[in-house]
Parts: sequence; structure tokens; C-alpha cells
Amino acid sequence: MTDHLSPAIVNALVDGELTADQLAGANLHLAECPRCTSVALHQSLLKSATAKAGQRYAPPPQLQERLARLASQEDSGFQTPWFRPVPVTAVRSVGRFGLMGWAAAVVLLLASVSMMFVQRAETASAEHAALVTEVFDQHVATLAANIAPQVVSTDRHTVKPWFQGKIPFSFNLPQNLPNDTTLDGADLTYLRDQPVAQLLYSIGKHRVSIFLRQKSGAEVANELVTERSGFHVMGFRTNDLEVVAVSDVDPARLAELVSAIKHAQTGDQQQPK
Amino acid sequence: MTMRLPWKRKAREAGPQTSRFEDLALPLVPSLYNVAFWLSRNATDAEDLVQETFLKALRGFDSFEPGSNFKAWIFRILRNTYLTSRTGLAARRTVALEDELNESGASGPAQYPEAAIDRQTPETNLFQLADRAALQVAMETLPPPLLEVILLCDVEEMKYREIATTLEIPIGTVMSRIARARVALRAALETQYKPQREFSA
Repeated sequence: MTDHLSPAIVNALVDGELTADQLAGANLHLAECPRCTSVALHQSLLKSATAKAGQRYAPPPQLQERLARLASQEDSGFQTPWFRPVPVTAVRSVGRFGLMGWAAAVVLLLASVSMMFVQRAETASAEHAALVTEVFDQHVATLAANIAPQVVSTDRHTVKPWFQGKIPFSFNLPQNLPNDTTLDGADLTYLRDQPVAQLLYSIGKHRVSIFLRQKSGAEVANELVTERSGFHVMGFRTNDLEVVAVSDVDPARLAELVSAIKHAQTGDQQQPK
Repeated sequence: MTMRLPWKRKAREAGPQTSRFEDLALPLVPSLYNVAFWLSRNATDAEDLVQETFLKALRGFDSFEPGSNFKAWIFRILRNTYLTSRTGLAARRTVALEDELNESGASGPAQYPEAAIDRQTPETNLFQLADRAALQVAMETLPPPLLEVILLCDVEEMKYREIATTLEIPIGTVMSRIARARVALRAALETQYKPQREFSA
């Protein structure tokens, strides 16, 4: 009798990886070696048992539906710029946006509340309120959608150049961010028919949208601060830019980030706190 | 000049080839999710992994050659996405050193402890293998490099060459990892059943 089959040959045998010559040789040996036959049988049983045991986790239906919707949009060449998937962890961290259906309902509800607010806010200008509403809706849509940002990076030197040629203005991103604040990426979006840079940050698990656009009028009050349904909207103006931030994070922490961005526009970088 | 990448060999599946991403990718979502869950050990992370893989594949689909091996291509994206994920980075830090130390010469006879097979009766072996839950627990003990290779080989029924392409490792390493994974599975099963045997004896 020849030497026993090596482990590599036995594994290749049960995995169907032997060449015709190797297979013929192995079969010859197995015909006269009970030990190797037993080993090969056990390896084969282990393989089939592993195949069954390994089929353990089924994807949730909503994931399959979401991916099917994405794929069909891509195949049809139709892409809505505002429909971006957010990582599941991020969606779940927001809590109230666990399901797309709920998200749509919340958007509708908030839009209604926003409209009521605008009607009652006699002191606010119509343009100002409309802009705030649009910014607010855009942020909520970003949270509820499930597509990654158009540019995904934590590097300001990646995010800023991405906008070259896409917007008719430039801006600076802060080098030093407040504690527990990270840059997630950015999107090109539109507000009032104007191209806008939407920077996406996270403060802890809270997501923040910072909208930057070319200054066009007195629509954003200097040092604007508005609270709406648990979200805070605040902004500032420079000589060239209008900047609006929206998030459900603590307003003091949002203000820290807004301050860092403001200082970045003037070249006065802050130290992280 | 167009470089022909290894995963772009002809797919084994018979039947008409389709070039639509939807038709190619959606049937693989259950497999991608299953492997992602095994690797991340977490439903939320698995969903994120699959979603990110899907988006990367969608964006890079123009570079995919129609008719080539889509499954190996998208699993490679999944694997690379996992390696750069939080759980993947943590797993790599944990097992990298051990894996490197044991990798060389792994296909030799010393990697295959005969006692792992001969020690038990055929009846005991069959009983263990029929216990799906016990085998799943045994699989959970495998380090990621061994788990991923056994998932691709036994569950996804990939050939060694496809696995090598997906994991970006030599075929010899694929073979040695499969051998080590099966030895480790048997050892883990034996550990689970050992107290019962001692008790019954």
C-alpha cells in the first residue's frame, strides 16, 4: 500500500479540486485503504454539514427592498440627488427614522408644522422662513434617505476640492473640530434654485448638515438661531457666503461647530476644545 | 491596454448572460448578507456592510466586464469593505499575528492532527455533524481568516481559484486555511461534546 493521502489531497478531493490524474490516483488508494476512506468520508460529511450550518442568516426584507430600489434606479438611469442611503447604524441612531415609511410621515408632519410656523411667525420675513424650512426639509430628507453622500470622506482636503467646478464659490473647512465631531462627507444640493454645498458632520451620534451658498441677499440673519421640532437651525454670514447649520444636537455643541466653520472662513482656526 | 483581472474569468454558471446590475447583484444579496453577518457577528453591521458593498459595486459596475465572474467580484468588494470596517479592523488586530505565525508550511502533515478524526467513533462523529447548532457554535470560534475561507468554500461553493481571487491570497494559502479551518471545527466540536462523553462514561 502507498502512503496515506495527505490532508491537502483529502481536502481537495472533497472540494472537487483534484485533477483527473490526481483523482484516479486517490481513488486507487481509497479502494485499498480503509483509514483514508474513513478520513475522506468524514471530511465530506463535515463539508456538507458546514454548508448547511453556514446558511444561517437571512437579510431583512427592507434591506432587499432598499437595494432593489437602488439597483432599479441605476439600471433605469434615474437618480434623485436627494435620495442618499445613510448607514443603518446612523439611521438607527436617529431612532425616529427607523423605517422609511415613518420617515416619510415625519417629513410630511414636519413640513406641515413648518408651514404653520411660517404663518404664525409674523416677525420673520417670508423669505427667511422659507429658507429655514427648505434647509430643515433638506436635512430631514438626508437623515431619512439611504444613499451615502456624494463624496464620502473625513478629510477636508478631499471634500473641498470635490466641489471645484460644481459651485460658483469656494469655502474653507476647519482643520480643528470640536470634540467628538467628525466630517462624514458632503453633497451638492440646491436651495432656492442655487447650488449649495451641504457638508455632513456627526457630533456623537447626531448628524449635522451645514449648507453653504453664495451670498445673494439678506435672507439669513446674522447669527440666526431657530428651534423647530427639536432641531436647531443656526447660521451666519460672511462677505461672500451664507451658512446655515441644522441638527438635533445640543445647540451649544452645534454652535461650537458653526463657530469653527465661521473661523475657517476668516482664516482664524480655533483649537479643539 | 486592458489588464485582465483574475476574477474576470468566465463564470461557471450556464444560461444566458445578463449585464444588468440588478439581475446580477440582487440574487446574491442573501449570500452577501449571510457572510457579512458571520464576519461582523452583528445584524446592523451586516446590513451596513452589504449596503456599502452594493453601492460600491453599483458605482464600479462600469469597470466590470459582462460575462465574467460577478460573484467573485462583488464578494471581493464585500471582503475589502469588511476589512476596513470597525469590526474588520478589530478582528485583524486580534488575529493577524497568530495567522502570520501559522501560515507558512500549513499544508504539511503536521497541520492535520490525526487524533482529531481517529479519537472518536463514527457514530459520535455523525451525531456531532448532525447537530447544526453545535456546528454553528464551532464556526463562531473560528478566527475570521479561517471562517471566511470555509464560508466561501463550503457555503458559497466557490472554487479554490475564486477564493484566492476574492481574498487576494495564493491558492496554497487557501488550501492551508481550509485544512486548518476543518481541523479547528473538529476540535471545537470535540470540546463541546467532551463533557458529555465524560459524564456518560
